[in-house]
Amino acid sequence: MRRGRQKDGGGPHPPRLRPPAHRLSRRAIAHWAIEYLLLWGLAFGLALGVAAWAGDAHWDALPGWLSGRVGWLPYIIGAAGLLMVTVAPVWRYRVHRWEVSADVVYTRTGWFSREWLLVPVGRIQTVDAKQGWIERMLGLATIEVNTASHTGSSEVSGLPVGVATRLAEDLAHRAHDLRDDAT
Amino acid sequence: MNVRLHPLTFVVGAVRELIALLAAGATGLLVGGMSTAFYFTIVGLTLGLFFHVASWLTFTYVLHDDRIELRRALIGRSVKSIPRDRIRGVDISASLPHRLLGLAIVHIDAGADGGEGELNAVSRHEAERLRRALLARDAGTPPRRVLARMRPRWYVYAPLSGAYLLTPFAVAGSLLGTVYNLGDDLGLITRERVANLGHDVVGLPSALVLALVLLVLIAMPVMSVIAFTLFNWDFTVHERDGSVVAERGLVTRRSVSLERRRLRGVELTDNPFERMAGVTRLGALITGLGDAAHRGRLLPAAPRTVAESLATRIVGAVPGPLVAHPPAARSRRVARAAAPPVGIAVLAVLAGQPWVAYVCAVLAVLAVPLGLDRYRQLGHGTDSGRLSVRSGSLRRRQVVIEHGAIVGWRIRRTLFQRRLGLATLFAAVGAGEGGYSSADMAEEDAVALAAAITPAWLAPFLEAPPADAPPSRDGARRT
Repeated sequence: MRRGRQKDGGGPHPPRLRPPAHRLSRRAIAHWAIEYLLLWGLAFGLALGVAAWAGDAHWDALPGWLSGRVGWLPYIIGAAGLLMVTVAPVWRYRVHRWEVSADVVYTRTGWFSREWLLVPVGRIQTVDAKQGWIERMLGLATIEVNTASHTGSSEVSGLPVGVATRLAEDLAHRAHDLRDDAT
Repeated sequence: MNVRLHPLTFVVGAVRELIALLAAGATGLLVGGMSTAFYFTIVGLTLGLFFHVASWLTFTYVLHDDRIELRRALIGRSVKSIPRDRIRGVDISASLPHRLLGLAIVHIDAGADGGEGELNAVSRHEAERLRRALLARDAGTPPRRVLARMRPRWYVYAPLSGAYLLTPFAVAGSLLGTVYNLGDDLGLITRERVANLGHDVVGLPSALVLALVLLVLIAMPVMSVIAFTLFNWDFTVHERDGSVVAERGLVTRRSVSLERRRLRGVELTDNPFERMAGVTRLGALITGLGDAAHRGRLLPAAPRTVAESLATRIVGAVPGPLVAHPPAARSRRVARAAAPPVGIAVLAVLAGQPWVAYVCAVLAVLAVPLGLDRYRQLGHGTDSGRLSVRSGSLRRRQVVIEHGAIVGWRIRRTLFQRRLGLATLFAAVGAGEGGYSSADMAEEDAVALAAAITPAWLAPFLEAPPADAPPSRDGARRT
């Protein structure tokens, strides 16, 4: 530990990670917003159905304090969904970042909880670039960097297609050159 | 050259059918009626015998320079080819019939990319030859060196681990199940008889019931020692041809070879009872080993010093003493242990179920010492070659990983952790569970630990040291 500290500055300051250099494409916000909208829209529909059904059926198994309030369910789900659709994508966009140095892929993801992930290129087994249908509409792509361990496998979504394909090729190439047997 | 399995193979394969045949014949005679169902059973068993003979006739294996091929030609042909350089382990085991006939099962494991194969019954001599041939890559065969061997005293540790304590119930359950099935097949069990049995049990005098319960309570530790002995008799770990070989078992003698170059680390697990007795279990972290929990076992239950010295001889010294985590982690451990019962209690109060709420309140109080102990057990440490992390209370686990085995770092900070200045560091490893975490470290320590182990990976991403005094910020953080 001491060694690490002295190497990068000489002082006894604790080492801190700086954020990765690159942001995602701005269209990633739209991507997340559409995803959340679909998901929460579905949940909202289900909640409406449940509320209507419970209101009609006068279901006995429900405890008394709950039966009068099933009508609230769609409103709660709707409010939570609205919050998710408007807040989460922007928040995510501010947190998500990526960078590829000489031999390490460094990413930061999450919003509520954040994760910093460092994957050395020499330990990469496969690099996949993929596009879902929403991503195809928006001209985005996702890169999946896989190592021998699930914990050490990283995913960068919301990259512009051109950047993603170039990065995937480059990483696959370098991983092949640098690959050591350690799994 | 194509080789068949040992000619007695079909005997081993058919032993189960033979036993069933004898049992069925005996019961048939006892009951007195040779029912049609019984004839059907015998026809089925005969067909089974023919099947075993036919599969023996049509199964061959060939040992090539670079691969071993297993050919099956009973229904459709299949050739399974396992490249020899992919083979990660060769296990030899023998069930009771195998041992009586001097045979052994050879299990070849080639991980995810090579598949696995089994030679059911070759002679013991051939099994040893195959293992030597498949695992020895170039050098001759150096003599085996015993690394650790079980002492008779250790069998008494069996009741400490929960799993073996439950064996009497498992045995009784499977016995009852067998009896029931057999009886059901032969038409002995009717609704009336079951109902009568139920009445009889309910009608038993309470003294007898008490005696039965006492008997079970006494039987539990005794049975656990017996079961433990059956599985782990003369547990021996030795070293041979660059592999660590663990041999164990009384009736079924099982030997598992773990290749040294696939070994990434070890784990030491124990529960509170074992901790009090100073006992621990040792397991190996191996890349691409299926069923690693059983096959990667290096010591079933041994004094901690013995387990640690074996760990030292296999992966190198266990780093220690471990560094405790900051006090902020304590409240988090306690909160996380107590939160589920408290949450359920609140829901129960809302739902008007006071009893559930009381039970949950008691559980929540009990969760506090559990959380405190979880905090006490948290720790991490590293030396020049290995990283060690420890966590858990009811099942405490200390993992020792070689630095070279780490394939990535993940640092997670939830909203709550960010408020407390904590972070969880995951070391990604291509073995065992894929990743081992050190929960709730101080944020700087997490980065510093990763930077100390793999300085080259983190160096480009570390913040440049600020020119003006960082101590003030540190001071603020500590308050």
